[in-house]
Amino acid sequence: MNIIETKKLTKYYGKSLGIENVDLTVKEGEIFGFIGPNGAGKSTTIRTLLGLIHPTSGSATIFGRDITKFGPEINEEIGYLPSEVFYYDGMKVIDLIKYSANFYKKDSRVISKRIKELAVYLDLDLKKKIDDLSYGNKKKVGIIQGLLHEPKLIILDEPTGGLDPLMQQRFFDLLRQENKKGVTILFSSHILSEVQKLCDRVAIIKNGKIIRVDKISSLAENTHKRFKLETAVRVDKSRFTGIRGISDLVITDNSVSFLFRGRINEITKIIASLNLTNMLVEEPDLEEIFMHYYV
Amino acid sequence: MNIIFREIRAHYKGLIGWSAGMLFLVIAGMAKFSAIASGGQQAIQLFKTFPKPVLVIAGINGLDVGTAIGYFGVLYLYILLLATIHAAMIGAEIISKEERDRTSEFLYPKPISRSKIVTEKLIAAIINIIILNLITTVSSILAVSFYAKNFSNNNMILTLMIGLFIMQILFFALGSVLAGVFKNPKLPTVVATAILLVTYIIWVIVDLNSKLDFLKYVTPFKYFDASVIINDGHLDPLYIALSSVIIVIFITTTYIFFNRRDLKV
Repeated sequence: MNIIETKKLTKYYGKSLGIENVDLTVKEGEIFGFIGPNGAGKSTTIRTLLGLIHPTSGSATIFGRDITKFGPEINEEIGYLPSEVFYYDGMKVIDLIKYSANFYKKDSRVISKRIKELAVYLDLDLKKKIDDLSYGNKKKVGIIQGLLHEPKLIILDEPTGGLDPLMQQRFFDLLRQENKKGVTILFSSHILSEVQKLCDRVAIIKNGKIIRVDKISSLAENTHKRFKLETAVRVDKSRFTGIRGISDLVITDNSVSFLFRGRINEITKIIASLNLTNMLVEEPDLEEIFMHYYV
Repeated sequence: MNIIFREIRAHYKGLIGWSAGMLFLVIAGMAKFSAIASGGQQAIQLFKTFPKPVLVIAGINGLDVGTAIGYFGVLYLYILLLATIHAAMIGAEIISKEERDRTSEFLYPKPISRSKIVTEKLIAAIINIIILNLITTVSSILAVSFYAKNFSNNNMILTLMIGLFIMQILFFALGSVLAGVFKNPKLPTVVATAILLVTYIIWVIVDLNSKLDFLKYVTPFKYFDASVIINDGHLDPLYIALSSVIIVIFITTTYIFFNRRDLKV
């Protein structure tokens, strides 16, 4: 069964494009990644699915029901964590969470138990005032208010900002546990590595259009590295000719930068022969990959 | 009910402030009456020497400030202004605040329709408005009877307070319709209070210039003009009907536009 299905979903803000002809299917029980650079249309798609904004054309169903007709019913079974969390001034964490909980039909005792479990698991003090919390702790409030009613579909829009690596790990474990219980997850991010860690399938969106939907395993075969070298003297370009998998090569007086995809051994041999002062190897951000490989 | 409780809690401090302002206005306003009444004819003669525009702007035109009810009629204009500004602001704010405070991504994905959210918010706002009206009514009756010992025309004060309530709901509906229509969450409050002040100015101009009498339908301040109500002894049914129609149109439009439009996050 498809939990989310969009057909040619299109959203224009006035004349400017949000998303165009987005066709997505998220199957029951999968963790579906949704990646793309900032402004690509991830949030627009999600906000349309949640009914915050209305589609210009096309249609979408969640749990098999049309989003424009059954918004409140559908939302009963959705947990949503937005990328930026803002709450009401002067409220305590527990007050906000109870306010959130009161919207759901589920048995309040079940929800209360769940709130306590989540708070312990995420190490969050429910008695504090929200205004006094750090960004990361506010994020935890968001996680709890999104999961307290044990939704069948969890939608996360760039959820990891502000969480330290340990807490991020714990959060991902929590999502995996939910997923094992049969919960479907739509995970939007612009960070490739976290999508790789968590997701089964992934859709890549750019400029409002889905440009690729693939299994994460086949995407991972194309991993690229960004090399940034600082050198004592200018390196001659010829040192890099004839090596497969180098692109976006930029050489200045004392630096070399390129994207590499291929056999690491080949490239390290060359680097070893250079007079280096510093070296950085990192995952390229998605933007770079898009620019060189997907467009 | 969830949202009603939340909004009442969120607004109670503001309501205390508005109520304190109203109490001060009524009590301090009526305290001046004893000075005028004891000054007798002198003060009243003095008012008669004022040019008409001054009398109109001050709300004295057509009222006998020597009597307690006439004097209260003057005060009524300021009560109207204070209470309608409160109503316009709360009507605009209660709808647009989620977008202004960026909490819309928290509230609107909840399993509740936008119409129901609007309904609960409007109910919470109306409760605030009723409380402010009751405080005004009770304090007015007490203050008038305290400063004018022989006063027995409480029914007239109640009539004026019903007029006040209709005016409050009218401007509350104006605030809410603007918040329903405008995407920018800061505009509705500003525009609603601006419209309120413009209609007040129109009321002054209409009173000053009888050629502009046709404008009296444009300004609700004319609908519930204290000098007319006190002289007639009752509210004008035409204006009550007109207000009701406007209120229904505004509230309906609020729902239609708010359901249709994209929410700002």
